[in-house]
Amino acid sequence: MVIITLQRKKCIGCNYCVELAPNQFQMSKKDGKSVLLHSKEKKGFFTLKSNDALIFDDCDNAAKACPVKIISVKQT
Amino acid sequence: MQKIELMAPAGNFESLQAALDNGADSIYFGVEQLNMRARASINFTLEDLSEIAKRCQAKNVRTYLTLNTIIYDHDLSIVKTLIKKAKDANITAVIAMDQAVIMAAREAGMEVHISTQINITNIETVKFYAMFADTMVLSRELSLRQVKKITEQIEKEQVKGPSGKLVEIEIFGHGALCMAVSGKCYLSLHSQNSSANRGACKQNCRKKYTVIDQETGFEMELDNEYIMSPKDLCTIDFLDEVADAGIKVLKIEGRGRAPEYVAKVIKCYREAINSLENGTYSKDEVITWMQTLETVYNRGFWSGYYLGQKLGEWSKGSGSHATQKKVYIGKGVHFFPKAKVGEFKIEAYNINVGDTVLVTGPTTGAKELVVEAMMVNDEKNNQGVKGDSVTLKLPFRIRQSDKLYKIVEHKVET
Repeated sequence: MVIITLQRKKCIGCNYCVELAPNQFQMSKKDGKSVLLHSKEKKGFFTLKSNDALIFDDCDNAAKACPVKIISVKQT
Repeated sequence: MQKIELMAPAGNFESLQAALDNGADSIYFGVEQLNMRARASINFTLEDLSEIAKRCQAKNVRTYLTLNTIIYDHDLSIVKTLIKKAKDANITAVIAMDQAVIMAAREAGMEVHISTQINITNIETVKFYAMFADTMVLSRELSLRQVKKITEQIEKEQVKGPSGKLVEIEIFGHGALCMAVSGKCYLSLHSQNSSANRGACKQNCRKKYTVIDQETGFEMELDNEYIMSPKDLCTIDFLDEVADAGIKVLKIEGRGRAPEYVAKVIKCYREAINSLENGTYSKDEVITWMQTLETVYNRGFWSGYYLGQKLGEWSKGSGSHATQKKVYIGKGVHFFPKAKVGEFKIEAYNINVGDTVLVTGPTTGAKELVVEAMMVNDEKNNQGVKGDSVTLKLPFRIRQSDKLYKIVEHKVET
């Protein structure tokens, strides 16, 4: 399982996560911040648990590229 | 001499209050993203806008919202939201770099200031932006002679902004300079994917570097390893020449700085501007101001490009050259208004009679005083230590959100 979390409040809207993992991230036109698609929120942390192992690499690249380091990606 | 507006940075309420208490004519600040300090952990939120406006209006201080990053399509909606909320909160103007922000602010009927990132270096560009803005920051790389020519042309050709008044020129007066052309930099984007132009500068230029010829492996001999880190700008020693260049607004850099930095720098420049206006500006006063400015964060001082130097002066260290630093002692507990006494709980370090202490807080700002006498756990004593309750006579009110620091000498690394 791939677990992705996004600490959305700290996002500065740079768009890199969307460029690297367009199937998982999208920029919100409402507030200009990144949205982790199909995620669930708990105390400001948005989490997506997916059984699709193929999404790991793109999301991991997005996490590495994030200038404010608010994305974490784990594979279990 | 025309009146010069002193513009202060405000990264949070502590600094905002410090600016107001020390004589700023205007303040500039950012709200979360889309400003050049977007990465900073301390930043105002949209909910703070009305409080910022309220505190500043009470003192007749103008308020400027910085919205000066590069803007992407997905930002356009939040740009409009920010401008609308700023307008509703009675914020005076928007500082803009991107044309989309300029247009959005104009459509909302808000005053626009052109950010230094637009890099204005000539009168024709001033005329172009005069269609949209009443105040413009000129490029940081201009000399005062060039600035003066531009202000003279504005007067001569009667270049007016949307308000119908002559365009006002603003320049940076004090604070950090970087190696980038008027703040536009790709260094941290290339090295860490962190765009300075989106407010996420990682300050790579502040580090030590060596230059090596890859073909031969020959390392160039350098006098200083901080080859990309300029000293901080300081103009207080030639403020008469700055004023003579015909500028209207003097901007102090430092939205990431501590409240005592804002307090001291604004106080010095306020006194300097006042002394220019009443004709008492003197070299003796300059020495005193410089000594005060050296006590707070700085990388050493130089005059930027204003006096026409061809080469930059580089910093000799990574951190501050400040001659003083603050050490946390404790927190505010209670204020007794009748007796004008403040009670503090000492949580670290000790406090002695004769110490210079600093109290900072969102409403208190940054206030310094010398401890002349104190009560420790309800008894007269010359020293308070960790765990003690200490009361001091204070010329100002304190709150529970306040922090107490001791000011100590700081050895400057050279």
